[in-house]
Amino acid sequence: MARIGVDVGGTNTDLILECDKGIFFHKVPSTPKDQSIAVIRGVQEICDIAGIAKEAVSLIAHGTTVATNITIEHNGAEVGMLTTKGFRDILHIGRHKRPHNFSLHFDVPWQSNPLVKRRNRIAISERILPPTGEVSVAMDEAEVRAACALFRKRGIKSVCVGFLFSFLNDAHEKRAREIVLEEIPDAYVSISSEVANVIREYERFSTVAMNAYVGPKSALYLRNLEEKVQAAGIPAKLRVIQSNGGISTIDGCAKKPVGILLSGPAGGVIGALAEARLAGIENILTNDIGGTSADISTIAGGRIRIKNPRDTLVSGHAVMAPMIDLETIGAGGGSIAYLDAAGGFHVGPRSAGSEPGPACYGRGGTEPTVTDAQVVLGRMDADKFLGGDLPLDPALSHKAIKDKIADPMGISVTEAALGIIKVVNNNMALTMRANSVARGYDPREFSLMPFGGAGPFHGVALAELVSAKDVLVPLAPGITAAMGLLCTNLQYEHIRSVITNLFTATQAQMDKVNAVIETLVAAGNVDLDADAIPAPDRRFEVIAEVRYHGQGFELRVPIPGGTLTEANRTEVIAAFHARHTADYGYAFDDALVELYNIRVIATAAAPHLQLPAVPKGTQADVPASLLYTRETVFDDGSTHQTPRYDRTKLGAGVTVDGPAILIQHNSTTLLPPTYRAEVLTYGSLRIAKI
Amino acid sequence: MTRTKVDPITLQVIRGAMETIAEEMAHVLFRMSFSSIIRESEDLGAGLFDRDFNTLCESESTPMHIGSIPGYLNGIRESLDDGQWFDGDVVVHNHPYFGSSHTPDLAIVIPIFHDGELVGYSANTAHHIDIGAATPGLIIDVPDVYAEGMLFAGTKLYRKGERNDTMWNYIRRNSRAARQLVDDIEAQIASARLGVKRFKELLDRYGKDLVFSACNQLMDYSETMLRQRISAIPNGEYRAEGWLDDDGRNRGQRLPVKVCVRVIDDRIEVDLTGSAPQTPTAYNVPFEGSTKVAAFAAFRKLLLDTATSPTRVPSNQGSFRPISVIAPLGTIFNPKAPAAAEARFTQCNFMIDLILKAMAPVLPDEIIAGSSASISFASYAGVKPDGNYWVFLEVNEGAYGGRPRSDGPDAIDNLMANTRNNPLEDLAMHIPMICDRYELRDDVAPGAGRFRGGIGVVKAQRILTDGIITHESERHTNVPWGIFGGKSGALGKCDIYNIAGGEVREMPSKFHGLAVKANDVMAYYSPCGGGYGSPLERDPKKVLDDVLDGFCSAEDAADVYGVVLDLEAETVDLAATEKRRLQIEAA
Repeated sequence: MARIGVDVGGTNTDLILECDKGIFFHKVPSTPKDQSIAVIRGVQEICDIAGIAKEAVSLIAHGTTVATNITIEHNGAEVGMLTTKGFRDILHIGRHKRPHNFSLHFDVPWQSNPLVKRRNRIAISERILPPTGEVSVAMDEAEVRAACALFRKRGIKSVCVGFLFSFLNDAHEKRAREIVLEEIPDAYVSISSEVANVIREYERFSTVAMNAYVGPKSALYLRNLEEKVQAAGIPAKLRVIQSNGGISTIDGCAKKPVGILLSGPAGGVIGALAEARLAGIENILTNDIGGTSADISTIAGGRIRIKNPRDTLVSGHAVMAPMIDLETIGAGGGSIAYLDAAGGFHVGPRSAGSEPGPACYGRGGTEPTVTDAQVVLGRMDADKFLGGDLPLDPALSHKAIKDKIADPMGISVTEAALGIIKVVNNNMALTMRANSVARGYDPREFSLMPFGGAGPFHGVALAELVSAKDVLVPLAPGITAAMGLLCTNLQYEHIRSVITNLFTATQAQMDKVNAVIETLVAAGNVDLDADAIPAPDRRFEVIAEVRYHGQGFELRVPIPGGTLTEANRTEVIAAFHARHTADYGYAFDDALVELYNIRVIATAAAPHLQLPAVPKGTQADVPASLLYTRETVFDDGSTHQTPRYDRTKLGAGVTVDGPAILIQHNSTTLLPPTYRAEVLTYGSLRIAKI
Repeated sequence: MTRTKVDPITLQVIRGAMETIAEEMAHVLFRMSFSSIIRESEDLGAGLFDRDFNTLCESESTPMHIGSIPGYLNGIRESLDDGQWFDGDVVVHNHPYFGSSHTPDLAIVIPIFHDGELVGYSANTAHHIDIGAATPGLIIDVPDVYAEGMLFAGTKLYRKGERNDTMWNYIRRNSRAARQLVDDIEAQIASARLGVKRFKELLDRYGKDLVFSACNQLMDYSETMLRQRISAIPNGEYRAEGWLDDDGRNRGQRLPVKVCVRVIDDRIEVDLTGSAPQTPTAYNVPFEGSTKVAAFAAFRKLLLDTATSPTRVPSNQGSFRPISVIAPLGTIFNPKAPAAAEARFTQCNFMIDLILKAMAPVLPDEIIAGSSASISFASYAGVKPDGNYWVFLEVNEGAYGGRPRSDGPDAIDNLMANTRNNPLEDLAMHIPMICDRYELRDDVAPGAGRFRGGIGVVKAQRILTDGIITHESERHTNVPWGIFGGKSGALGKCDIYNIAGGEVREMPSKFHGLAVKANDVMAYYSPCGGGYGSPLERDPKKVLDDVLDGFCSAEDAADVYGVVLDLEAETVDLAATEKRRLQIEAA
């Protein structure tokens, strides 16, 4: 029995395989036009590397950017929308706030790249009224059929339905779907009360429209991949990681691809958490540093945080789908350093990408990047990059920094390179602080986990800047995301708005809330039935999304026991006050506490990656793993003859004191003077001040 | 204090820290607050200020607030309780003749003491829904500033850390929405306290001298960036003028607005001399807190456009320094006490629209055609069965003029405004109102042009009980202009009717305290922007798209744009279009 994790990135597709023989890693170039080609090739190759038959593979867990890329490249489906008469342009108006305060020439993404063109947004006579959801105008079915005729004429196969107040009564949306499927039998139909059954019309409509926009292509990709896996004779179940960190079936993701828009970075966060747990650490600040961007997240008490749905934008469009709370900023190895007209010094967010790439790649890039600074400072050995696969030219790095930064500023090239590192680190540290301190967490109780190929260069400096306790470098920083894919559980979420004042709630009102909970649990059971999960293995988390009456933002608190009762009502209220105080430093009184949404998360544990313990080492491993010694400049400006060690030859329990550089394929860890690295039982490195 | 020269790298580090503090302050304020005008619309500003009231950093929230707080701080200096600051003080301030932007925008100011010395201020402003004015929510037709509600000048809500309960009780007794007012003030205090805490951490980490030297350099940097752009404009006087519909009481009496922009080397003078005398209503603009702020904002948009500039200039005092503003005392842009001055937004937006028009001859690739340059600010209120009021404030969007490289955005907050709308579903679940229509206008066309004007919105709000409506808007008589051959946009309008039928009342752009009956509907139609460049130069494919999307009629496509379409096949006849355009040009 073998399990494989496949994480598709912009450049490489990373694979991990776990079987009786051990754990194997592999990497193949991505095939952006059809990600499945590299996936299948990688799966076959990694089986060969492990020396197992592909028939032995029981699970393939997949992280994919296929849905995300559709939103970036604006090449989703032509979508038709049915919406309530009088409200045709909710998607065009959005929240009527400009993306820029001080600009006349700004772009408005939801108008310049609409998910549904206005010509295809058809207003239907129907009206549902608050607060009960009573039907005041019955849906005009002839209008729905006429709209379908227009869609047919225009060759539209993806249709979404978003009616006002459908979160109170979904009858019209469901009936509209039936009619669409009668009229256009092969249509891909999404309805708002199923995709995001919550109050706030723009966000709900935008979410269902996004589902319709990315749906057909994502579904095609996923089903095609499933077929290819079968055709290749691999009997594995195929699962996809969702933005919330849980895995789901091909069928589930094909129906609700808004759930996989952040599938890519989610694996990294899960992988980091899994390794932190092995190291006995529950509080981590993760930073996944790639070529163009850094993904930053905070995990407290071993629990991944989900972003407030009000903050989840994808390519400028609101998407109310649960996503891991991570911030992405334009800071990475390829970030360009430059001086502006008034002498201001900047690093990023503009990036040299992989073409032309940093100056040292010798592909025509002349602007200095963070990678060039690392090369100039003697931290990245030009002849050893990617194990020597891609030799770098340090002279080009030197020239770029000298011409563009050092000479104009009248400082040395080394000072300029140190400045580039300092500013990029500071940019990342500010985001890490905003993602932790600003949310009531004390970073001194957290370990910083840097990963991605470039992460461990920056780990110690970032830990100093954000005052983290120490640094934890994962076993294989370049493929942490792929490892995360084998550390996830099945997870399905269902949500519904049920607005109830918790302080004054009567038994009848609580019964109504509990009826909603039952419905949502039943929906979760349907999902888990499809996965054939036995009842005892199913877990249901019932979450109340609560606010003070009148506020616009909800916070999440659990409902103990999964049923709202006279007894636990006050517990929910108290938990909400505590959450509000932690986030904002202040709590108001009980009378205002209002339940807004119920969310039920249905999960089933899957077997997780079992990393073997690293053989115990001795201090003699240190000299034995010495590769060579070179001059390296550290962040404090000091220069040292710095030994390079092969990280993979260091046994558990071994310690290395800085200054040192620990090299492995795809990643390099910088260990400054006065810091000590210790190899932990499962191979991760803990770095702390001596 | 010693001034050290801070290197560009450290400078960038301090800048990032300052900007993060301002954003964190704003975040706490709008997430914690209760009234929709703050939490959904984000009608607020927050930042840090030095001892001389220079803006060190400010949140990217609503432009009208950005740059207004130094005016408040100046006013507090003249009016402060005790005549001095103590550690632990919290001040509330809103007096328009002591520097405020307008009375509903309460500022909360907390002094920052470091090693026993006053080093600066943490402050924010936010729009409150009711401060006990003559009528609920908004006001227009009132006699003087005393009808605007509670006036606070340097009033301490906390003194040396001790809560002034008398003052809090007074506030609670003098608002129709007391609970929201008091809780939102608490949110403002939490936000300002966070600013104090974060700034002190920064001072402890880097030292006072370094932090303030860095702040001074950052202000110089912003100033330098703006002066460089100004220097590129030829010296001269650039003028434009227009008018406002009326003052909200004297119907038909238009109010002239005259703008003269003087470019003098690397500075700019905005001279509003010749604009209308101050009005007898609240339709006046406080000079320090609003007129100047609008002029600063105009040139930041025009010369430091954040969407097109490769680098972002920090939001601080430096960007105000190259701009000076002249408005004679006793005029609409600089009223004398005790004139009321609560309804001041549309004048500010119109002034900016005129500044852009004035600069057209020398900055044709930077300016845009006439925008809605208005605002629709409505207050809806009623009395609940328990004798308490409900009050709801709504900002409706406008539309932009056509632009040198793109169409004017549709249905979006315009120029100085940048709020968020209220979700209609949330609104209807909480107050006795329901929205009957919210979509793009289809009764008029936006200004035609190579790049067309933006399309305004229509919003029909129905009130389910008897109530009171006040509405502040503009441009019912003065249509947004087209430029460089672009056509005019469309006027705004506002109707009131009952869903049971009967008369449709066409309302003036401003009306105050109108009593309405259950099921009365106010339908607001915002102005549409003017076009940029000749419609005959518009890409025919875009004209086809507009016709298919209902943004342009088939007749206008043929007659105004000269584009010949096959609507059944949804295609353009390019050869026929070329011919038709030549014909129109020749005619």
